[in-house]
Amino acid sequence: MDGLVPLLQNVTGGLLIGGIYALIGVGLTLIFGVMRVINFAHGDFVAIGMYLAIALFRDLGFDPYLSLAIALPGGVIAGWVVQRVVLARLVDSPGDSTLLATLGLSLVIANALFLTFGAEPASIYVPYATATVDVGGVRLPVAQLIAGAITLAVIAALWLFLNRTELGRAVRATAQNRLGAELVGVNTRRVHALVFGVGMALAMCAGVILAPLLFAIPTVGSSYTLKAFVVTVLGGLGSVPAAIGGGLLLGVVEFLGASYLSSGYRDAYGLFAFLLVLLFRPQGLFGRETKRV
Amino acid sequence: MTWLRLAGVAVLGLAWFLLLPDYRTLGITLMLLAGWATAWDLLGGWSGQTSLGHAAFVGLGAYTIGITADRWDLAPWWGALLAMALAAVMALLWGKLTFRLRAAYFVLSTIAVAEILRLVAINQRGLTGGAIGLFIFDLERPFGLDLFSRTVEFWFALGYLVLVLAVAALLTRGRLGYQMRAVREDEPSAQAAGINPEAVKLWAFAISAALTALGGCLYGIVLSALQPQPLFELHLSVRIALVAIIGGRGTLFGPLVGATLLTVAAELFRNVFAEANLLIYGALIVVVVLFAPHGLVGELDRRLVRRRYARSARG
Repeated sequence: MDGLVPLLQNVTGGLLIGGIYALIGVGLTLIFGVMRVINFAHGDFVAIGMYLAIALFRDLGFDPYLSLAIALPGGVIAGWVVQRVVLARLVDSPGDSTLLATLGLSLVIANALFLTFGAEPASIYVPYATATVDVGGVRLPVAQLIAGAITLAVIAALWLFLNRTELGRAVRATAQNRLGAELVGVNTRRVHALVFGVGMALAMCAGVILAPLLFAIPTVGSSYTLKAFVVTVLGGLGSVPAAIGGGLLLGVVEFLGASYLSSGYRDAYGLFAFLLVLLFRPQGLFGRETKRV
Repeated sequence: MTWLRLAGVAVLGLAWFLLLPDYRTLGITLMLLAGWATAWDLLGGWSGQTSLGHAAFVGLGAYTIGITADRWDLAPWWGALLAMALAAVMALLWGKLTFRLRAAYFVLSTIAVAEILRLVAINQRGLTGGAIGLFIFDLERPFGLDLFSRTVEFWFALGYLVLVLAVAALLTRGRLGYQMRAVREDEPSAQAAGINPEAVKLWAFAISAALTALGGCLYGIVLSALQPQPLFELHLSVRIALVAIIGGRGTLFGPLVGATLLTVAAELFRNVFAEANLLIYGALIVVVVLFAPHGLVGELDRRLVRRRYARSARG
């Protein structure tokens, strides 16, 4: 029994953080599934979300979770614009040009954040977020519970959007076959822009709910980009449910690895798993041969 | 013509040394970056395998020099040879493992491998001194030259750059160079022509890694305080790759042009951007991808070829 409570503690902690990884990964996988773009700026969108919440909290006294009301629509618009201005010009260009363009965006965002907010770590302190709830000996921080609830709500909303609306159907059609979708009257250019916007909004949402949990530094983005890649490749690039599974898995693996093996290698466990999956099961742990959204 | 240009690079280096004595450290970083980018280009440009993990070889080179000098009092030239051999072996294993991956998946795998190596460097405190790092106090003097003086380091960096450019020039004109380009353009066709794509990519990777590690050795001596943070970081890998891509992938002098442009730009805007100088890299790569997909030298080359062709067609 002695080992059970810490184990449960680690697993729930891992699941709650993993939910946020899932939120980040879902956006990345959606963008890849529909547009075939590997978005290297994805983690930096998370960083934008964090700093948005921090700036609104500091300057206007916004509750961090209230800034979601700005982050979600703002993310869709910003993503739409980025897609139209940069990525839409590269749709049929060969090789790794979209990868390089998003890598460039990532550098621009990280360094612009650095110029605006400085290098010192920034955070949000709200009293209720640091409290913990005790469930049978397992302590759960309130901020993580709120994060879990929001993650669940957002992913449910995304699922409804993709599976229960006409627009969502157009998105899925574009992912399956762009030409086919165009032939039945889907404006795939608009779908691409919308999907990039939704992906960015999801990442920014993850950033907002991470802001009360940990410190933000301008370069935090690249580590989230890596995590998002790990999450999506674990599950199989291009599949939304697989990204959710991958996210939860990464969260738990990180927590367990850090507490039972060595905490210095916390980030390495995910990368090892990533490489192994990439090499021996490139369609992902839960992947089938066909790509679906 | 190529050899003439190569001599031109050496002369420009000499001119920099004489005319800009206050900027010798900048010159060293410029030439090292240009050397790394040229070495990167053997794999990334000529063979078409974009790597975002080359900082691993820079780190390997620097740490090999540091550890061998510190522990075994090994002379730096033996340390450098050892580093190059280690880098080549590491590249062979690394490539053997990941060359089956295509396009973006390969890029992601290079990041993952380099990140794992960085975490090893941070955590193997016994070997690398961990996050605090390692210091190089004294080194044996080749021909009585003090390796810690900026003047000597400048000459070594220039020598390194010219060496890498010469190796790249020789390689890309030879059999392997044509095979590398064939593999880059179309692997199945290359295979049909009797080329073993994996072997070609492994050669390119091993040579690229060894040359990068040699530059890493020099960089380690220049820094003399080795820490995993600047040496193994993703940012360094990204800089090496972007410099080559902005200058022009698969061109001999593209990486050098890119390195010069970006180093000088970063220096000019140092007061404006402070440590945010990667902003320039980011903005430039977006512009290059959108408007000059072959890089600066690549676009120039294409334009010249087109003009020459038009003239010959007319005449």
